[in-house]
Amino acid sequence: MRNTLVKVGLSTAAAVLLMSSSAYAQPATATASLNVTVNIAAKARLTLGAASITFADQDPTAFPTLTAPTPLTVDVSARTAPAATVTLTVLASQDLTSGSNTIPVSTLAWTASGAGFAAGASSTGTAQSVGSWAGSGLRSGTQTYSLPNSWTYAVGTYTTTLNYTLTAP
Amino acid sequence: MSADFQVPSRVAIPLLVAAALFALANSAPAQTRTATLNVTINGFARLTLSSSGVSFPDSSPDLVPQVPGTPGPLAITVKARTTATANLRLSVLASDDLRSGVRTILASNITWTASGLGFVAGTLNRTTAQSVGSWVGSGVRSGSQSLLFRNLWTHPTGTYTLTMTYTLSSP
Repeated sequence: MRNTLVKVGLSTAAAVLLMSSSAYAQPATATASLNVTVNIAAKARLTLGAASITFADQDPTAFPTLTAPTPLTVDVSARTAPAATVTLTVLASQDLTSGSNTIPVSTLAWTASGAGFAAGASSTGTAQSVGSWAGSGLRSGTQTYSLPNSWTYAVGTYTTTLNYTLTAP
Repeated sequence: MSADFQVPSRVAIPLLVAAALFALANSAPAQTRTATLNVTINGFARLTLSSSGVSFPDSSPDLVPQVPGTPGPLAITVKARTTATANLRLSVLASDDLRSGVRTILASNITWTASGLGFVAGTLNRTTAQSVGSWVGSGVRSGSQSLLFRNLWTHPTGTYTLTMTYTLSSP
């Protein structure tokens, strides 16, 4: 009986050895799937390079136009549908005002650089276009403000606030 | 009438023992027999993912430039039985680019980092299966994949989907 057990054991070992040889190797394959979902919602971000602009006082004859010392950088980021129009507008809160004296804000104009940015002039009644673009993306440009320097202005420090609105539908 | 053949138990036990001893004393010499036991071990592979889906929530590209997938790292368990020197390879292939109707975002915006012996980081591709891990020989291997979505301002809005197909194979 003991011999029988030994023989069986040897035969089993031989079988296992045979199975581990390449002659018995068989391909092994398994697959699994993972469903991926990405949500992208509409978003907009507007960044101005400065919080204020100051025009230095100048002789009207020597400098008939006051120009802002540095261009205002404008960075527009928007995420929207491919065909949607992204718009950037600006609206003045009031005319340039110093006490009871005013300078029409419509004389506060700007030139622009950068794709999609446009030149224009300020208004207190209607938001004025600063730029427009199609679809998602990041856009950068500059606005350089200027103001006629007239002998007729009363002395004073005139201020207004320009409100920018970026819309990405 | 059965009572006539009944034997007291105290007598019966010695008789049975004697019969057994007699049988052993007269047993035949040990004999040998050969038996062949066949064990078939085929190649076998099993692949388990801890989740059937992953989603990337909407996030600001400025605040979260790389959006981690939820519900967190994907646990991967690879079980394979193969020859000792066989190479095992786990790869993943995207079904398509991320698609939301006609809008698409390149599948390559999904990347992953990896933990676990043999697991590697990579970038998803819809045409060429990308390696997730590789090993040699049989065994059980566990690791994780942390999927990330490259969050750009230029992506159009929408809900995008694709399917990642993992394939574990050995030659």
